[in-house]
Amino acid sequence: MSDDSVPLALPLLRFAADTCEATTLYRELRKPLLRYLVCLGLSSDEAQDVVQDAFLRLQRHLASGRSQDNIRSWMFRVAHNEARNRQNSYHRRFGEPLGDKIDFVADDATPERLVLEKEKFSRLAKAIQLLTDAERECLLLRAGGLRYREIGEVLGIPTSTVGDTVDRAVKRLAEKCNV
Amino acid sequence: MCDFSGRLIAWLDQELSLDEAADVKRHLQSCEDCQRDLDSYQRVTGAVQSLCDATLASTELRRLPRWVLLAGTAVAVTAAAALLLALPRAPMEEPPVYPTAAVAAAANLLEPTPAPVDVPVKKTHRRHALVPVRSQQNLNGVQSERAIRIVIPAEAMFAPGAVPEGITLLADVSIAADGSAQRLRLRP
Repeated sequence: MSDDSVPLALPLLRFAADTCEATTLYRELRKPLLRYLVCLGLSSDEAQDVVQDAFLRLQRHLASGRSQDNIRSWMFRVAHNEARNRQNSYHRRFGEPLGDKIDFVADDATPERLVLEKEKFSRLAKAIQLLTDAERECLLLRAGGLRYREIGEVLGIPTSTVGDTVDRAVKRLAEKCNV
Repeated sequence: MCDFSGRLIAWLDQELSLDEAADVKRHLQSCEDCQRDLDSYQRVTGAVQSLCDATLASTELRRLPRWVLLAGTAVAVTAAAALLLALPRAPMEEPPVYPTAAVAAAANLLEPTPAPVDVPVKKTHRRHALVPVRSQQNLNGVQSERAIRIVIPAEAMFAPGAVPEGITLLADVSIAADGSAQRLRLRP
């Protein structure tokens, strides 16, 4: 029977395709995920753990034959929920200003620009602390390059709510930070 | 509020049809409110993006020193161990090499001095065999703990033909095992 080879060949082909896809996804999504998690307040090590877990889950998810329309928002949702579960880190993060952690500015910065940039970051970080959780999360996800529809999928809220929330957050930051 | 404000983000995200996008673009050229809103929106989200980038870069920067520190410590410890093992032996086992024939000839003027490592250790003092050689009698009967002795004749200290007449200086230097100069003197 000519179909004899199909049961053996399909899993192999699928494995190769999945591996290739997973590598591409890893390259594309690792950094945005890490950035979002670190900005949410996770330590670098915690963020690395969460991202690794998220990719393992994705692998299991795809290996089980389930499909996913938008893998990016799925991954952000998994990472976001895991970050939420790590309540200690999450709350610790919001107890301390984000800007105090910044000790990196572009290499070509002059000392004067370095000071100004740090001040700007510090001011902005403090203003972000004063936003509501929803405003902060929407804004950080938006800064991570997600569209409103995707942010809605990550946070489980309607797209229109995302639009209103981001608008509100942007206006508050613009008023306080003069950016 | 302008009717188009709700569509600005969709336009930014390229989620509008070509016709709708063209409408928004046309509207933006004439509506100052929308221009201002869009400008403010892009500046704020851009600043937040920069902050997030800097935060990530800072945390990655902070992770780096741990590796650098570990690797640096390992290299330093290995280098220090190698130095400790190698340094004390090399100068003590090999007599100093005099570079020129003149130096060698002048060295012969001195009474033969036993090489530091050649000092015999009596069997009765066997339990002290690993203790560095304590002292030996030098030419002037002064006790000194030395590891290397360097003698430089006048011919080697001056350019050829520039040695002042009647002067036959000998620089006599003794360097202890710890690297300190124990004696530096000139002998006529």
